[in-house]
Amino acid sequence: MVKLFRVRKTTPRLERLHELSLFVNLTQAELQIVDGLLHERHYLEGEVIFDAGEEGQAIYIIASGEVLISLPEAANGRRATQAAVIDPATSHPLRRQGDTGLVAQLGPGTFFGELALLDNSPRSAQARAASPCELIIFFRDDFVSLLDTHARISSKISRQLACHLGTRMRSMALSMSAHQHLL
Amino acid sequence: MSASSTRAATPHAAHHGSGPVVWAAIIATTCLLLLVFQKVLWLVVPVLLALILYYFLYPAVRALIYRGMSRDAAASLVTLAFLLLVGLVGVALMPRLTSQLTQWQETVDRYVQGGTQLLDASLRALERHSPPLARARLADTVAARLAQSTGNVADHLEPVALGIMAWTPSLLLAPFLAFFFLRDGRRFKRFLGAAVPNAFFEKTLFLLHEIDRTARAYFQGLINLTILDTLTLAAGLWLLGIPGPLALGLICAVLAWVPYVGSILGGLLVVLVAATDFPSDPSMAYWAIGLFGLVRLLDDFLYMPMTIGKSLELHPLITVLMIFAGGAVAGVAGLMLVLPVLGVVMVIGETIGLIVTDPRLMARHRHAKALRRIQASADL
Repeated sequence: MVKLFRVRKTTPRLERLHELSLFVNLTQAELQIVDGLLHERHYLEGEVIFDAGEEGQAIYIIASGEVLISLPEAANGRRATQAAVIDPATSHPLRRQGDTGLVAQLGPGTFFGELALLDNSPRSAQARAASPCELIIFFRDDFVSLLDTHARISSKISRQLACHLGTRMRSMALSMSAHQHLL
Repeated sequence: MSASSTRAATPHAAHHGSGPVVWAAIIATTCLLLLVFQKVLWLVVPVLLALILYYFLYPAVRALIYRGMSRDAAASLVTLAFLLLVGLVGVALMPRLTSQLTQWQETVDRYVQGGTQLLDASLRALERHSPPLARARLADTVAARLAQSTGNVADHLEPVALGIMAWTPSLLLAPFLAFFFLRDGRRFKRFLGAAVPNAFFEKTLFLLHEIDRTARAYFQGLINLTILDTLTLAAGLWLLGIPGPLALGLICAVLAWVPYVGSILGGLLVVLVAATDFPSDPSMAYWAIGLFGLVRLLDDFLYMPMTIGKSLELHPLITVLMIFAGGAVAGVAGLMLVLPVLGVVMVIGETIGLIVTDPRLMARHRHAKALRRIQASADL
């Protein structure tokens, strides 16, 4: 019986998960539990991951590649047609929605869409793959179930989330004060 | 951008429930599935039992996983423990069951006799008040036909035993299936999710979660319905003074898992008990029939919509109508299966309707397809 509960050896996949900022504090056994809840998706450069205003169901962690986070343009009615236009010569979209309101460009190890984990509010920005990327997806209901049943793991993840949100709030406050100073 | 303005701007947020076309498709698909399921009952019944077992055992498996055990080991351990428990209970009860088998035969004979006597007394009372019925000698005719058709209990044992033997291999599938649901359920979810295009991925995850939630809610609703039926019947039977009200109430409530038919069988059981235990007071059997009618009405129009219907978030009218439709389409099997099938089809149908009618999601899917096509033919 003791053998059944013994912590198993780490695998390259678990090591990779451990390098992600959201799971950096988790032990091997905890990572194994979380690993069972994660999904993997591959996105091509220019592919929309989610849109602003969409109901958020999951948090996305970048395993490889880069992702653009941008605020949508005012005229949402034109978005569908604009997003589908692709330059056949370069294989890149001619014009991307949100290019005008770029908020951040995120790299491997970082995560986005975290507000979906905390509440049912719609996505506040659009996420689009800036390069071919591999994303790890943590579904909200799996996270909520984890909160109910495994307090230690969820507290570690929640702490990382809180740190991330705090950093973001600080940088927003700094940029706002710099903007006011310039005015 | 504020949340409200973004929500208003997206096609997804403009969606307000499913339209009549989606609902017509949901109802048609449910009826079609019931027709198919009726043909493969040997598989559907063990799957249904396996699902009940899965939701019953899942909390234990989850608790072990969250204590550090692997999913495979947890599923194996819990299933083995369950089978061991069932085996031990079976072994413990077997001597008592075999010793009481002959006594049961006598008891069943006694209750059938009591029921026949009640029917005979009722018909003769009717004949006394109705000369046309007396001239037709209705009581004698019915008594003769009953004597021909019922015969001895031992005559019915052979088909019952054969039925049990035919269904046993199929029913033994249930724990086997439940084990694989417990062990590989999440892998299956991931496998299904991996087959879905990126644009619909979040919606699909939500769909799978909703199906799980619906099934869980249905089986929990079924347990609540059983408790409500048991308590109401037990209270009524206790007020009437019929012996063993709680046990009778529980048996009838479990029989009521099969809508209508189960209730009729349960009602028959109570009437037989009342008629046999109070042979000199036929009014007791009539009171039992009245009580059963009342519980039947409560069950169909209040308890079922409140528990199972509510758990599936179905309108009470749709719940009642679909029970009738299920019975008409697939008989007893349809009555049993209609609500869980409708619940799952409803979730799938509403989600597909949501995706197909969302122009933004469809545009994103087309865009992703175009990107993949370009990537595939980049150096051609």
